[in-house]
Formats: sequence, structure tokens, C-alpha cells
Amino acid sequence: MKEVMMKSMRLSLIAGLLLMLAPAMASASGGGALKHTEITFDNETLRKGLTVFTDVCMGCHAAKYLTYRNLMAYPELGLSREEVDELRGDKGLLEGLITELSPEDATESYGKVPPDLSVITRARRGGGNYIYSLLTGYESDPHGKVEDGNYNAYYPGNRIAMPDPLAWFEHDESETADLEEQARAVSSFLTFIGDPHQLERQRIGIWVMGFLVLLTFVLWLLKREVWKDVKH
Amino acid sequence: MIEKMMNTRLFHWVDERTQLGSIIKSQLTEYPVPKNFNYMWNFGSLALLVLVLQIVTGIFLVMYYKPSAELTYGGYTVAFDSVERIMRDINFGWLIRYMHAVGASAFFVVVYMHIGRGLYYGSYKGPRELLWIIGVVILLIMQGAAFFGYLLPWGQMSFWGATVITNLFGALPVIGEYLQQLLRGGFAVGDPTLNRFFSLHYLFPLLLAAIVGGHIHALHVVHSNNPEGIDIDQEKETIPFHPYYTVKDALGVGVFLLGYCYFVFFNPEAWGYFIEVDNFVPANNLQTPAHIAPVWYLTPWYTILRTFENKLIGVLMMGGSLAILFVLPFLDRSKVRSARYRPVFRQMVILFFVSVVVLGYCGHSAPSATLKIVGAIATSVYFGFFLLLPFVHKFEKTKPLPEGI
Repeated sequence: MKEVMMKSMRLSLIAGLLLMLAPAMASASGGGALKHTEITFDNETLRKGLTVFTDVCMGCHAAKYLTYRNLMAYPELGLSREEVDELRGDKGLLEGLITELSPEDATESYGKVPPDLSVITRARRGGGNYIYSLLTGYESDPHGKVEDGNYNAYYPGNRIAMPDPLAWFEHDESETADLEEQARAVSSFLTFIGDPHQLERQRIGIWVMGFLVLLTFVLWLLKREVWKDVKH
Repeated sequence: MIEKMMNTRLFHWVDERTQLGSIIKSQLTEYPVPKNFNYMWNFGSLALLVLVLQIVTGIFLVMYYKPSAELTYGGYTVAFDSVERIMRDINFGWLIRYMHAVGASAFFVVVYMHIGRGLYYGSYKGPRELLWIIGVVILLIMQGAAFFGYLLPWGQMSFWGATVITNLFGALPVIGEYLQQLLRGGFAVGDPTLNRFFSLHYLFPLLLAAIVGGHIHALHVVHSNNPEGIDIDQEKETIPFHPYYTVKDALGVGVFLLGYCYFVFFNPEAWGYFIEVDNFVPANNLQTPAHIAPVWYLTPWYTILRTFENKLIGVLMMGGSLAILFVLPFLDRSKVRSARYRPVFRQMVILFFVSVVVLGYCGHSAPSATLKIVGAIATSVYFGFFLLLPFVHKFEKTKPLPEGI
């Protein structure tokens, strides 16, 4: 009886989990299926991503939660003081990476204020893959309604206000690999700054889990020892 | 070890003034517990653990969190900024915050298991009716606390979730509008709402701590039920809580922490189930998200609400679906407690569990015509369970109960 009960509980639990996972998987792809890219947090990729961010994205977007000091402090990025000084100009070390473009000018030029990118990969389904798809998603509108440069295959509704940042639409074959790498690097960079302690967290997590496995094993032995005389 | 501690002079000094010794004896070392619990009986102690974790992590979060909806650069607010500051700049702030966010979901996981166990084994039946009722009060306060807490980061889901739920109160006749404005501190969800929700989010766990004390006290008066659901010989068929169940509960804690820490350290958003994707978008009262859904632990009741076209009926049914738990002990007239010996009840209660899971799924998903029907069926099953309960004993052939455990 007990087993039947456990079994049916387990069944409904599994059924529930499956039901819950189905939409998570479907929604991960947003509207259409996103392109997949390899998000990595190695120093080379993150630095390249930072360069793309400051040279391209920061023309209009900010990442206000990422400060200049963070660029030195996060070991994954590890910029030197000189590099940071060059980047920040006369801005303070504790200031965030903020664009020169004012919200008023942005509204006038693009019709809206570009979103802050500090947590953008966490605020969009698909995360880094979404950013990557967006950057490499400028195409001609198959229906011919949206003009070139404003049509993006991965943007909800397809009409995007952001002008093709990497000039993907008009690039020729020889540049593809380079642009894809830029898109991958900046997607990785944005994924990293969305939760800048994630690598540290996972590193610590492995030790925590290891400790808990041991602790649980010892507790199991202890429980068996204490209970060995109880007949039931 | 306890005996040694109880023989010190310091202990005697305290004991003479508080009778601490007899409390320890009556509540721990000589408190009788049935010897045949299965692991379903571990969830009560786990719930207490998570409550403590939530209070402790919460106290530290409050040291840095700022409840203000004042706008800052980039469409964010002081509140959102302060959460990100905790995540980024405060030493181990990310750990405390993720423990708290994952803890909220973990709290409901263990409490729902705890309630499910009580249902299945008939722990709500006499003489434990009041124990169950206190438990339902705890559940309601927990749901309130979780709802208030979810507003604090002031993301899109915080804002629109609060808007939708406070809207419900507006549907009530006569006092509805007044109640809605009282909750919001104005005509719309805004800075005053954030501040009063923050205040209540701090108050409710303190209430919980007190009521949980009452819950445990009530338990220790009527004593635990057991998987067989029979009254037992308090001398021969029990073992003392300490050390037997302290060590078994500790083992449960080990297993629980493995799961909890997996999520805290490796998957804190839990694919958007613990922290929704839309909540990383700052609150914007001019832009409604495409799909507003509460966090998973509230979705079953959200589906019941959505099942009814008429808002007032929906609100009443949602309230009723929780309120009916209060009278459960009086609806069930069977003399047998455990579902092990109640074949009809057993099928009913399993179907009830399935209906809650299905309701949860429907409430989490974007509404569709099919899901509406599925939700309506699950809602009928949910209420059907309670409606049928008073009559089951009339035709149910219970199995013979064992002599002892």
C-alpha cells in the first residue's frame, strides 16, 4: 500500500515536472527558434565583448550597474588600471558605463530610449542566444513591408528600432566569421555582466555540494545506527 | 550529551527558575512519537528550517534594500537599483539574495508536501482539527508574505502582479473599492504600495513565527498521527523524539539542502520558475507584459480565479478554494483516518493532488481555449473533492485496521 502511494505520488510529481518543463523549453526560443551560440566567459572573449560593447553598443545603450571599477575588480575581466583610465576618460571609477546619447536625443532619433543592457540577457527569453540572434538577424523582410535595416528575424514583431549595429545586413561573405565572433563575444559579455558573480557562485557551489554529500552520508549512517534497535 | 549538560550547576540554576529541564524532557527526550513514520513526516521540520532561513536572510537583505519607486537612470528605480547593488557590490549579497529567492519557492515545496501528507494520512481528523486549522492560517499568511515580497524588486512582474491581485479586491461589493485603495495606498500601484507591502512583508514572517509556535504546541498536546492513522499505545508504540526523530529530521535536512543548494548555486532562476524573466525588466506602468502570471506556488489558485468569466465569482471561488480547507476536518465523517485503509478516499485524494498540479500548470501558462477547459475541469475536481467528502463514509468499505503499529 505504501509503495503504491509512493508510486502514484512519484508519478504525479514527474507528470507535474514534465508539464512545467514543456512551456519553459518552448518559451526559451521566444517567437521563432533562436540561433544558438556558445556563451563563454574566458578572458579573451569577455575582453573582446567589452570592446564591442564600448565601441558599438555604448553609442546608444548603457550598462549602468557595471562600473569602471568593476572592470578591474571582476577577475574574469581583469582590466589594468591603465586600461580602465583610458576607457573612462574623465568619468569616475564608481560611475557606471553610461552612453553619451541622452534619452531625449534617442527618442528623437529612434522613437524610444534604448534599454539599459546591465541585465538584458536575464530580461529576455533565450538570454545570450537572443542577443546573438538579434545581432545577426537583420534580413530583408520576406513580405516586403518593413524596410531593410529595420527588419529583424528574431525581434518580436520583426520591426526593430535599433539600426543594424554590426552592419550585418550588408556584410559580404568574407566578414561573416568575424561578425559572428563579435556577436558571440558581446553576447557572452552581456551574459556575464547580467550576473557577474556567477562563476564564483558555481565554484563555491561545487564545494558546498561536496560537503553536503558527505554530511548527508554521515547523517544517514548516524540515523541507521540510532535506529538499529527500533522494530517496525 | 544532553544528560551531561543537564547536570551542570548553570543548568540547575536556570532550571530552578524556568523548569527548563522538564520542558526538555516533555518536549524532546521523553516526548513520545509513533515509531512508524515514513519520510513524508520530515517536511514539518524542513518547513521550520526554511522559515528560519527566510527570516535570517531577510534581515540581512533589509540592511541594503531600499523600498522606493523613485525613478533613476535608465527607467529603473531606487528599489531595483538596491537589489542589483546587493547582487553585485555587497559581499556575498548574491548568496543571501538567492538563498532568499530560492527559499521562497523551497518553503512552498516543503509546505505543500507537508499539507499533502496531512491530507493523505488523515492528519486533519479528530482530535487534530485545530492543529490543521492553525496550519491553514499559516498557509494563508505564507502566501500573503510571498506575494508582498515579490513586489519588492519592482520589476515588471512585481508591478503587474500586484496590480492584478489588488484589482481583485476591487471586485468585492460595497467595500471593494475602499479595500483596493487601502491596499495600494492610492488609486494605482505605486510608491505607497511598495512601502506598505515592504512593511507587511516584514510583519508577516513574525506572525508566522508566533503561529508556528502555536502549531507545534497544538501538535504536542494531541500528538502525531501516523501512516496507519490509528490511535496508538503511547507507551509501547512510541519512541522519544530525541534522539530518534532529531537524527531522522537531520538526515532530511541533509537531503533537502542538497536540492536547495543546487538551485541557489547553479540554477537560482530555475528556468524562470523562481525568478521570472520579466522581473528583470524594470516596472513600467505604461507597458503591460504580454502574459502576467504569479510565481508557480500561487498559480493553482490563479487558475481557479481565471476559470470564471464573472470577476466577483472568480474572486469568491478563489477565496473559497482556500477557505474550504478550514472546514475540511468537519466535512470528512469517516472514522478511519489513513488513506491506506480508505480505498475510495485514496483515489479521491490522489485525483485532488493531480488537480492541483494541473491547475498550477494552467495558471502558469499563457491562456488558451484548451487550457481554459482543462482548468475548468481541474477546478471541478478540486471542489468536487470537498463536496463528495461528507458522503464518502456512507458507501466506502474501509479495510480492516491493524491492531497496532
